[in-house]
Formats: sequence, C-alpha cells, structure tokens
Amino acid sequence: MRETPNFIDATVTVLHREDGNTDRLVRQLKLLGLRPTLQWAPLTVPETADIVMVDADQGFDDLLPWKKDQAPCPVIALLASEAPGRIAWAIAHGAAAIIAKPVSASAVYPALVMAMSIHQERRQAQDHINHLEERVRLRPLVHGAVEKLMQARGIGEDEAYRILRQCAMHRRLPMEQIAAFILAGAEPLPEAS
Amino acid sequence: MGFFVLVFRMVEPLKIGILYSTTGPYGSMGRDARDGAEFAISEFAAEHDLALEPVFYDPHADLSAYLEGARHLLRAGCRHIVGTITSAARKEVIPLVEKHDGLLWYMCPYEGFEANENVIYVGGCPNQHLLPLFEHLIPRYGARPYLVGANYVWGWEMNRLARELITHAGGEVLGERYLPLEETAVERIVADIGQRQPSFILNNLIGPSSYAFLAAIRELGSRNAAFLPENCPVVSCDLMECELDDIPGGAVGQLCAASYFDSLPTGDNFAFKRRVATRFGSHRRISSVFASAYTAVDLCLNAISAAGSDDPQAVRRQLYNGAWPTLFGSLGIDPETNHAALPFHLGRINAGNGFDVIASRPPLAADPYLTRRNRPAPKLRVVS
Repeated sequence: MRETPNFIDATVTVLHREDGNTDRLVRQLKLLGLRPTLQWAPLTVPETADIVMVDADQGFDDLLPWKKDQAPCPVIALLASEAPGRIAWAIAHGAAAIIAKPVSASAVYPALVMAMSIHQERRQAQDHINHLEERVRLRPLVHGAVEKLMQARGIGEDEAYRILRQCAMHRRLPMEQIAAFILAGAEPLPEAS
Repeated sequence: MGFFVLVFRMVEPLKIGILYSTTGPYGSMGRDARDGAEFAISEFAAEHDLALEPVFYDPHADLSAYLEGARHLLRAGCRHIVGTITSAARKEVIPLVEKHDGLLWYMCPYEGFEANENVIYVGGCPNQHLLPLFEHLIPRYGARPYLVGANYVWGWEMNRLARELITHAGGEVLGERYLPLEETAVERIVADIGQRQPSFILNNLIGPSSYAFLAAIRELGSRNAAFLPENCPVVSCDLMECELDDIPGGAVGQLCAASYFDSLPTGDNFAFKRRVATRFGSHRRISSVFASAYTAVDLCLNAISAAGSDDPQAVRRQLYNGAWPTLFGSLGIDPETNHAALPFHLGRINAGNGFDVIASRPPLAADPYLTRRNRPAPKLRVVS
C-alpha cells in the first residue's frame, strides 16, 4: 500500500441502535477523522454518506435502499451473530467488510480500508463489464461491415477483418464505430494498405 | 491523598505489573525498561511512604509467553501493567488487558495505527519520530535513502511510511532490505549499499542485526569516505545508550531519534541522573527505554494517587486532566488517542558511546493514524 489510507472528513452513516458498541465505534471513527452520524431508520438514497455501516444482526431489507451490486458507497456490516442468514443478508446488501461485535477499536480502521478498496475494485470491475457488454452488443455491426468488405473487394473474411482493424487503429476509433460508419455508407470503404 | 494512603496501607500493597523480556534479541532494552520501571516504583514508595509492590514476569522473548505473563500479573491483582517492547507482544496482551479492563502502559516508539482505550502510549508514533527525522535529514543529505529493517511489522511499516515520505518529497528509495530478527549476515545488504551510494540509510533493524549492520557500515566508511557518517549517516529510531557498547568497533557519528537522551542538559535530567547514579552506580548511562519506563510508571503512580484509587477508569480520567511534570518535561495525554505528546530529539553517537543532542523540537501531539496531515509533502522539501 503506497499511500496511507486517509478518511479525513469522510461522512459515515451508522445504521444501528445506540449502545456501547456504537459509542466505541463513533469514538474511533471521530479519532480517524471521519464524520459519523448514527440512526436507526431506513436510509434514503439522496442522504447516502461516503461510507455506510449497518447492523447486520437486526438489519431488515428496507433499511438499505439497494441490492448487492448497486451499493453506491462502501458498506460495512456490524455483526455479532454467526448465523449464515445474517451473513447472507450483509452480503446481499453489498457489505465488503465486517466489524465483529462487541466492537473493538482496532477493528475499525482495517475494515474501512478493506471496504473502501473492495468497493473501488467492484466499481472498476463493473465499468469493465459494462464496456465489454457494449462491445459484444455491437459485434453484429463488425460482422456486417466485414461481410460488406468481403463482397465489395472479393476478399476472404480474415483479410476483410484485418483491413477493418487497421482502419480503426489508423483513425483511433473503436472498430464498432468504424463498422457502423461503413454500414451506414457514411464512410468510403477502406483500402487494404 | 490522606484517604488514599490510608486505603492502601490498610489493605494489600498496591501492585504494578512489569512485563519485559530480559533475554533474547531485545534483552538489553528489556533489562533497562525493567530497571526504569522498578526504580520509579521504589522512588515513589519511599517518597510517599507507600506500600507498593512491583510484580515481575519475564517472557524471555517467547511471544506466546506474553499472554501467560499478562494473565499472571492480572491474577496477582495488578490493574496496571507496564510492558512489552515489540508491537507483536503488545498485540498479544491487549485483548486480555481489555477483558479485565486494566491499563497497559506502553513506552516504546512504535509504528502507529493503534489507539486502544486500555493502553496509555508513552512511546512515540511516526509523526513524533519518523516525520521530524525526515524533515531534518532530507534538506541536509538528500532524498535518496536506502531502507533496512527487521522482518516484522515495525520494519515493514516504518519503511513503507519512509517510502511514502520520500515519494512526496520527489526523491527515490534506492533499496529496501529486511533481515530476520537476530540475523547478523549483513554483507550482501552492505555490498548493495556500497554500489548504490544512497544519501542516507534508515535503519529499522533491532538488536544484534542492527549492531552487525552498524559495524559493517563503519568498515565500509573506512574504505570509502562517501559512507562516513558525515556524508551518509545511518539513522535509527530505536537505538539506545544501553546498546552502543554492543556494537563491535562502535558507531560514532551515526544518528538516532528519541524523546530522551542521557545527555539532555535539563535541570530535571541532571537531578534524575544523580538519583540513578546513587542507585545503580555512576557508570550507568540512562537509555530512552529506562527513562520511558520510569516516566510511564511515574505517571501511572501519580495519576493513581490523584484519583485515590487504581481503578483504571478513574486513573484515565485523572490522566487527561492537564499536564504532568515528568522527566520528559510537562507531559499531556490526549484523551482521544491515549497517546502522550512527546519532544523530539536527534542524537549523534559520540566517542564516549553516548549521544550528543544535535536537534530538538518541543512536544508534538501524537497522530497515530496520521489523520492530521493531508499529505506529508508540503512540509518536506529537497533543499540541497
């Protein structure tokens, strides 16, 4: 870890009834420079904090307004139970780290760092998947452009694909976009070079 | 105070646990810490006419024995334990101390990233030693250090932070090497350093590894003047007076950061040294662990006395309540972090195997999670 993780001025909503655990938690969060608020009422999206901590022992579905892959911020579960159902509930709501109850001060910083990092990783993975899905969705365009080239030039599929790719690289555009231009007739057919 | 004396006189003596290893790779530090803690107890008892009883446990550098030691001390009735040198040992005993709601008085410099309610930190964390150390070194020697360390969390984390500081200062780490505890085969590291010509060397080795390394660097300096201490110093955050005699050939000219040196020219320190000399003989040089253990126990006993009870919660409340006159000067404990504000001193090893203090800063509040700085960069600038 090159940079020391720093949570100064990050807001954190703790969804938990006030008790000795939340006292220790809030004390440690403040010490780490975060700005905690404690509530035991459903969270609505507009008021979402930078980080959410949630009581997974008592948590109910309406407490968090999202499902696993839609958590807009890192989620940390506060958990005393070992019941698989409660762990599953935490996972289903996007928890990326657990702080075991009774809360010990030394568990807080590692959980923050872990949840932050996993949230970032998930977000990057999702972006990557979205990008790949878009390319798969546009694949028929590439196929169509290759066929058009094959017919127009009387060449094989491999050669047509090579020409298309070269054109895309030359123009610094995605192949899918060049293919769309070709199919729309908005682009003269590229020549083999 | 009168009530307090009465209470403790009539029932059992007040017991303070002392948990140090007097053998093993950091045995010399453990012996000094034990003596410092014991000296504070005997002085306080004599001065206040109190029945105080130090209870000793020696884990002999066996990590798993620390937990047994803490259990033994808590069962013996100690609600306050001064002890542990390494972070690994501290982490071993904390859960038990927490469970019994005792207080652990920890007095060694450490790598930070901890603030436990049941620990009072009288050592220092990196913003009190490593950061001011680099602020001193970079403008004078440059920002191309070589990092060496013991292969455990102290070495890793100190070097990780050092790397971060150097990156922010626009410098470059020329090498980073680790040795197992007690490993003294330093030749390959020293050969690598000889080739790379760093601007200074950060030494986070401990015990015999550190002594062997310092001796090998002295050899290197005698062959190549670029490695003399005035050109490329070896700097440590945990080297002490009690260790200097163990370095073959000595390490004159090398640097160390600490909150206390035997040579500090203050009235309180002169008086302290006279009292130590009366007890231990005039030859005894006082190390920062001796002074820190003494200060931790002295603080503990004064807070117990002010609270009228050794109940850890009452003691903590007293402790937060203003500044305490100590050997380190006026010392406050931050109620948020349980850490002491500590002065920073930079010492240079002299021919008499003591330290000459060459730079000092007034007490710095501890920032164990480094949250009070956004980036270290603005403070660190390469000038030379």
